[in-house]
Amino acid sequence: MVSLIRAELHKLLGLPTARIGLLLGTLLSPLVVLVNAPAVRRAGLAGADLGLVELGVGLIGPMILGVVIVSSEFTSTGDDAPRARQLTATLIAVPHRMRLLTAKTAALVLVVGVQAIVAAAATIGLTQVMHGDRVQVPAFGRIAAAALYWVLLALLAYAITLITRNGIVPLTLLIVNSTVVSVSYLLTKVTSAAAYLPDIVGAQMFLQGSDFPVRIAPVTAGLVMTAWIAAFLAVGAVLFHRRDA
Amino acid sequence: MITVERVNKIKGKTPILYDVSFVARPGRVTGFLGPNGAGKTSTLRILLGLDRPQSGVALVCGRPYSGIDRPLTTVGALLDGSGAHRARSARAHLRWVAASNGLPGSRVDEVLEIVGLAGEARKRAGRFSLGMSRRLGLAAALLGDPEVLVLDEPVNGLDPAGIRWMRDFLRERAARGHTVLLSSHLMGELAETADDVVVIAKGRIVTQGVLADVVGDHRTLEDAFFALTEGGGPW
Repeated sequence: MVSLIRAELHKLLGLPTARIGLLLGTLLSPLVVLVNAPAVRRAGLAGADLGLVELGVGLIGPMILGVVIVSSEFTSTGDDAPRARQLTATLIAVPHRMRLLTAKTAALVLVVGVQAIVAAAATIGLTQVMHGDRVQVPAFGRIAAAALYWVLLALLAYAITLITRNGIVPLTLLIVNSTVVSVSYLLTKVTSAAAYLPDIVGAQMFLQGSDFPVRIAPVTAGLVMTAWIAAFLAVGAVLFHRRDA
Repeated sequence: MITVERVNKIKGKTPILYDVSFVARPGRVTGFLGPNGAGKTSTLRILLGLDRPQSGVALVCGRPYSGIDRPLTTVGALLDGSGAHRARSARAHLRWVAASNGLPGSRVDEVLEIVGLAGEARKRAGRFSLGMSRRLGLAAALLGDPEVLVLDEPVNGLDPAGIRWMRDFLRERAARGHTVLLSSHLMGELAETADDVVVIAKGRIVTQGVLADVVGDHRTLEDAFFALTEGGGPW
């Protein structure tokens, strides 16, 4: 299994798109802290979530990584053979599909886990540097929960791509939902049940002051989001196992 | 040894393989011959566990492909294209393939040398010509120095020198006792390379046996092929 995970790490980190995801995810949040610092100071904002909210911007990184680790298997390898895909080489090398998926999942969790820790440390650290004593360092548990949120969101992107077998749909859906118009957030205005949608409920693991329609305890929020991801992963895995490559 | 037994496959609602059965033996080059769309690639994909048949079994060395641990050390396979993501260099592609089967990184440069791509190791697969892609695909197939080779249209896109090289290479492999199964729609080429021939048309095996027996009284393999497939049989 170690060699399979190593191969998946080689594959993922060798992709230019994945490197973009790594860079954006790691650098965007600290950058936002820097750029926003004067405005935050003027407004006298020193909420309990300062630093953790900015981490949300970097989520584009885990989303790209989660999508591209699967979608790269399904893109055509060349104009000469439009039906040829990397997946053929992958399954010839590792025909046991569940072992392959386990290795892929482990590689993604590793990369996004490290990325989340680096990004969180940089963002929280920079927040302290910029705002000093006026903000408290969030409790370790909340930072860890934010990192877990990154990993779970990457796994959500990964599972959706396993189902769609194409990167464009999930990437568009997830990026639009997390940046331009958050459909899941708007839904919370219509029904409070939307507070249990995976991206909304997950944020309650580490954010305190935001505008949530229903208050959910951090551990409960974590469990609900994990259950969502497990369900998506199960559907993705069953389809991947059953479908012709 | 490759054994395919009574394999049936339906794609969508269309049956594409009917009771396909044949064997490919060690020490021999077995040519899998048929026109485009006859079911050659579909059969090889089932043999390699990429697609699932509705019924029947396909075994390599007595086992289904998906049950072989570190399969590249037993079977080398070449299907459509190189299998390399177009943004990856030839070496980067082979490195992950080698890593997945616990093969040493040094093997990557060896196979690049064998297929004549050592000078192109850092070039991106997306910039490869058709012939170079085939060579890269073959390099991946050779990584584990396997005793069985399964090659789908291996000479497609190769220049005359490449075709000659491939022919010698496959003959030499068979001479070492390896099992070589290659599909082709090029009858002249296959007649030059194969010891045994399996002929498929419209999803059914029409005949199989030693090349000379399949050709029989016909002048060439091509004549035999058309006589066999245009006889107004069940297809």
